[in-house]
Amino acid sequence: MRKKALQVLLVEDNAGDARLLREMFSKEAAGSFELVHLTHMREAEDRLRAGGVDIVLLDMGLPDGHGLETLRRARAAAPEVVMIVLTGMEDEELAAEAMKEGAQDYLIKGQIENRALPRALRHAIERQRMQRETEQMRKNEVQLRDEFLSHVSHELRSPLTSIYSFSTIIADGLAGETTPQQNDYLQIILRNVHQLQAMIEDLLQVTRAQAHKLSVDLESVPLNEAIGYAVDTLRGAATEKKIHLSFQPSARLPSVFGDATRVRQVLTILLDNAVKFTPAGGTVKVEAGEYEKDESMLLIEVSDTGCGISPEASDRIFEHLYQVTDPGHAGRRGLGLGLHIAKDLVTRQGGKIWVRSELEKGSQFFFTLPIFSLAGVIRPILTNDKSAGDSLALITADVECRDGSPDVPRKTLDVARMVLQQCLRADSDILLPGIGPVCEHKRFFVVANTRQSGAESIGSRIQNQLRRHEEFQSDNFTFTISHSFLPPLIRAANETMEAFAEQVAAEVRDHINDVCLQGAI
Amino acid sequence: MSQEKILVVDDDPDVRLGLQLRLNANHYEVITAGDGVASIAEARKHMPDLMILDLGLPAGDGFSVLERLKANEKLSSIPVIVLSGRDRVGNRDRAIKAGARTFLQKPMANEKLLAVIRMVLDAKGRTPEVVYDLVDPLS
Repeated sequence: MRKKALQVLLVEDNAGDARLLREMFSKEAAGSFELVHLTHMREAEDRLRAGGVDIVLLDMGLPDGHGLETLRRARAAAPEVVMIVLTGMEDEELAAEAMKEGAQDYLIKGQIENRALPRALRHAIERQRMQRETEQMRKNEVQLRDEFLSHVSHELRSPLTSIYSFSTIIADGLAGETTPQQNDYLQIILRNVHQLQAMIEDLLQVTRAQAHKLSVDLESVPLNEAIGYAVDTLRGAATEKKIHLSFQPSARLPSVFGDATRVRQVLTILLDNAVKFTPAGGTVKVEAGEYEKDESMLLIEVSDTGCGISPEASDRIFEHLYQVTDPGHAGRRGLGLGLHIAKDLVTRQGGKIWVRSELEKGSQFFFTLPIFSLAGVIRPILTNDKSAGDSLALITADVECRDGSPDVPRKTLDVARMVLQQCLRADSDILLPGIGPVCEHKRFFVVANTRQSGAESIGSRIQNQLRRHEEFQSDNFTFTISHSFLPPLIRAANETMEAFAEQVAAEVRDHINDVCLQGAI
Repeated sequence: MSQEKILVVDDDPDVRLGLQLRLNANHYEVITAGDGVASIAEARKHMPDLMILDLGLPAGDGFSVLERLKANEKLSSIPVIVLSGRDRVGNRDRAIKAGARTFLQKPMANEKLLAVIRMVLDAKGRTPEVVYDLVDPLS
């Protein structure tokens, strides 16, 4: 079988260098390489997004891109494509940085031997393939372990059911009278049944947490709702123990930039612990508000009047598998994974978690989450130059099921978001995160700093890339892409970029509301 | 009034016996079956007032039992409680869609299981109604 020619993209603005490099390929057997030569970063990005390139030879000094930025932009346009950077003789430091940023290799101009270049290309591709295989093997191993743990946990439930059911049958006297001592011992069995069950649940939760390791999807989350949800979940357990569980929603609480499911999960873990360790008649309270030390964050506090944690334990309580071993807390159950999971989730959403506690008085758990700021999201694409007004388009992409079903599967939406992201230009377009209840998440918004023709070309690129993706080959989904322009905005001479971004964000928000209302009618 | 009849379907004989003893003690008559085919045969023979159904079964799993019940005019009126060691996530909705009244996860505390059985039996004759689990396993 004849091998397919390797598609090489050479991005080099210096005509002399480019000619030298091309000559090196000319000696190779016909049909083994196909070379496309471009001189500007913008063109290269478009070419990469169109797909089909196997390897890029990238000069790091272009008319419209310099240094590591060129590599980052190329990788953003085509993360899977092998990149080799071309540097000058004095630039070995830059080359090392490029390797750290994901370049597969570097070549120093003027030191490339004739036959060495095609060989370097082949090696780079081979190396990337092997790296990917290793990564895949590691993933498979993790998955295998999780599947095993999950399987074992499920299998444990059945025998546990029988141990529980026969212990209670004897304890309840259904198999004849028992002596008080026998009854005491049966209670010990039952206590351990509960403990074992809690461990099984913990194990399952960890495998689930790890299976979803990558799925923290940041969006605008109304915090009151998330807290309300978690409080409702624990209401039953609290009432049963006669614990007063309280939360006062505040109308002024801004949304956070997090993952709604994960925020609820963290709160549920903290509340579950609080209820567990607080004696009957105690109080568990949730509060949320501004964080004094960092005004870009919100602070959430879960406090209880429970048994408290010793200072030594406070330092370690978030560690994997750490459990308070104080015999006074023998009533506790579980594997001690809850707080570890909570810390993992908070950290991945950009926050911090800590505890303040006093033995026999109670504990206060705190965590922070970033406040959602549309201005902060949009700020990077606004032009710093005062004289240049920004022309901003709002592009809307709707994904719908062809059969009219209102629920587009989560996985499909994830793929659509990824494809959209790849269609954008790194420095002038922004795909907005899901914006809470304003719109459903099957509607995506892109803010593009562009003129009319640019908005159209991004729109058609999105349409094409979505159609081409295998997720959408089944033809079960339809896409509607449209765009509209924001009124022209010009930054006043004395206005800071931050203030200007706020102004733009307000416009964007209005526009989104308009689009959503139109859809509703 | 004659005793209410409950058909317990589980492939683990220990689980069957445990449930039988507990239900007998609460004045229910109990019939048992250990696989999918037997469960349908026993249901035909005894026309129970309620079925407690495991999901992982030999000879036709719990979901296929639910489908067969639904497809049969006479048997479709038997209310089913699914009691399974499988994850609630995914399985609960599937079971309820297939016709089960509710999904309970093993191991289930006796009082809660008995309360749910009572609720489902009392709802008999009225419009089928899903008793969503207000119940967590054990504790």
